[in-house]
Amino acid sequence: MSDPIQLHLLQPGQQATITRINGASALRRRFVEMGIVKGETILIERHAPLGDPVEYFIKGYHLALRKEEAAQIEVSLLAGRNG
Amino acid sequence: MTITTAPTEVFRLDYGSKLEREIARLVACFEENNFDPGRYPRRWLAIKLLEADPDILARVQSMPNGAQVIAIARLSAEKLKSLLGDDVDLLTADHRYGYINGVVRQTLQRPLLDRLTLTDRIDNIVTHKWLGLPFFFLVMYLVFRLVIDVSAPFLDWTDAVINGPLAGWLTFILGLLPAPAWIHSLVIDGIVAGVGGVLVFVPGLLILYFFLALLEDSGYMSRAAFVMDRFMRVVGLHGKSFIPMILGFGCAVPAVYATRTIASRRDRTLTALLVPLMSCSARLPVYVVFGLAFFGSRAGTVIWAMYALGIVVAMLAGMVFTRTILKPDVSSAFVLELPPYRQPALKSVLIHMWENTREFVRKAGTTILAAAVVMWLLLNLPWGVANQRDSYFGKVSGAIAPVFAPLGFDNWETGGALVSGFMAKEIVVSTLSQVYLGGEEAQAIEPTTFGEDLLGIGQGFAEATFSSGKILLSIIPGINLMDATAEAEDTALSLALRKQFTPLSALALLVFVLLYVPCVATLGAIRHEFGRSWAITSGLYQTLLAWVAALMVYQVGRLLGFG
Repeated sequence: MSDPIQLHLLQPGQQATITRINGASALRRRFVEMGIVKGETILIERHAPLGDPVEYFIKGYHLALRKEEAAQIEVSLLAGRNG
Repeated sequence: MTITTAPTEVFRLDYGSKLEREIARLVACFEENNFDPGRYPRRWLAIKLLEADPDILARVQSMPNGAQVIAIARLSAEKLKSLLGDDVDLLTADHRYGYINGVVRQTLQRPLLDRLTLTDRIDNIVTHKWLGLPFFFLVMYLVFRLVIDVSAPFLDWTDAVINGPLAGWLTFILGLLPAPAWIHSLVIDGIVAGVGGVLVFVPGLLILYFFLALLEDSGYMSRAAFVMDRFMRVVGLHGKSFIPMILGFGCAVPAVYATRTIASRRDRTLTALLVPLMSCSARLPVYVVFGLAFFGSRAGTVIWAMYALGIVVAMLAGMVFTRTILKPDVSSAFVLELPPYRQPALKSVLIHMWENTREFVRKAGTTILAAAVVMWLLLNLPWGVANQRDSYFGKVSGAIAPVFAPLGFDNWETGGALVSGFMAKEIVVSTLSQVYLGGEEAQAIEPTTFGEDLLGIGQGFAEATFSSGKILLSIIPGINLMDATAEAEDTALSLALRKQFTPLSALALLVFVLLYVPCVATLGAIRHEFGRSWAITSGLYQTLLAWVAALMVYQVGRLLGFG
């Protein structure tokens, strides 16, 4: 396990485990509804053509988040394909 | 026959001893406080209260003794947070997902192959770093052309049927009845015109909803939002706002309805407030007539500038709204699933198309019809007026004309044209030509039999389908905004206009027409979707904006020595 890092700082191809979710309670509730919970593995897929939002792969489906919101999610990097 | 039900075990997820203790305590509290949970299961309600679910809190608050129960639940939740270090809603979610993961592990085997699905391969192109944006613009261009061009022949056909055979039949029926002249006029000039005003939108809406449903059901809509979000965010909008904005160049009415694909209410509302600033096709005839009359060979540049100005003003207005009455809230958070691509089911697309159009006719339609009748009253009262100028319409126009003096066009004719432009912006031109060139030539309707009428309607529809098909095939070349409309037929009108306007005041008028109050159909759509107060906001802010912008054009222009 590496040090916690904010999700939006990761690069496409990297994989990480969610360790903590910050932010306003309505936003966290939204995250939870979408399956973004502690312990879940998340894969960074690609940036949109203009750099933001970012597409992730979690729980077997594809999800887009703005960097602003992804910054509320703390993860620890897994030794992945590029990581 | 007896139905035997297997004894079902009530499923109950174990949330762990600490949470379970508080849930049980809260359930017991319900009775101690004489709180009747009504139709809600007790355990479920206790969990929702501990999670502080906003909807449930609001409901319980209004139930007898609800406030007490909420206060107890809040204390419990705080205790749990200090014990377990997290909010209850996150704790319960952890338990639920933990359980789900367990079930999935026991029952589902995922293929081990890590190969690209079809969706992945499509996304590699559609959301590609370089190809993503061009692909998006290509899709938008096609949808725009299809909605505007393919519906045009049907639009003309609808118009022809209403004003031709339908008006003819009604005239005939009214002739048989001992109806006074004013009823005759109300039915033909008020109601038929109003119904026509509603129905001309129907072909375009049907086609629009067809394509929107196609984009949505196939899964591309979320990719479009993904690709465009960064760009739209500059203005305070959502990635999905782009489609309504593009459609606004065709007609603001379907564009306002297209905001339905946006999830957050705040984003929907802001989009609908900005959509009417996109220069719709009804404004084009006004630009063309004034452009050709005053700017000659530079008319194209002036028209282009109007489109550009609309976009710039929309961006500025978006930034202002985002910082004032429509601040971003959590519901605007961009948490968007990119679902696998699917082949849309024709039936669901058709249902979507039909239901949305029907709703437009029912809801926005009543507003348009009412406005048409009011307009008819203004034009015809006091009863028996011979000259438009003496009607209430003329008086209203004359009364508001001085408001336009600082903008460079202080006459009742222009005031009247702008008032009638509220019905539909293209009417500005027809009103001006009517008052300057004196009434349209009375249309001689050749007497036809009922059978001939029906035949004509059928033939017209077939022709519309045929030309629509032709347009469909010829869609590949570029947009030509100027075709057909730019004929030099209005020389008489041009001469009359040149007596009333200078090029500078004409420009100020164009800016005013671009920005001022959306037409009644658009306001009807906004009211239908967002309520009366947003419709009023929309009308007021745009009119004010238009007045200020036209004032700046005219006065700055004069300072610079034009006009």
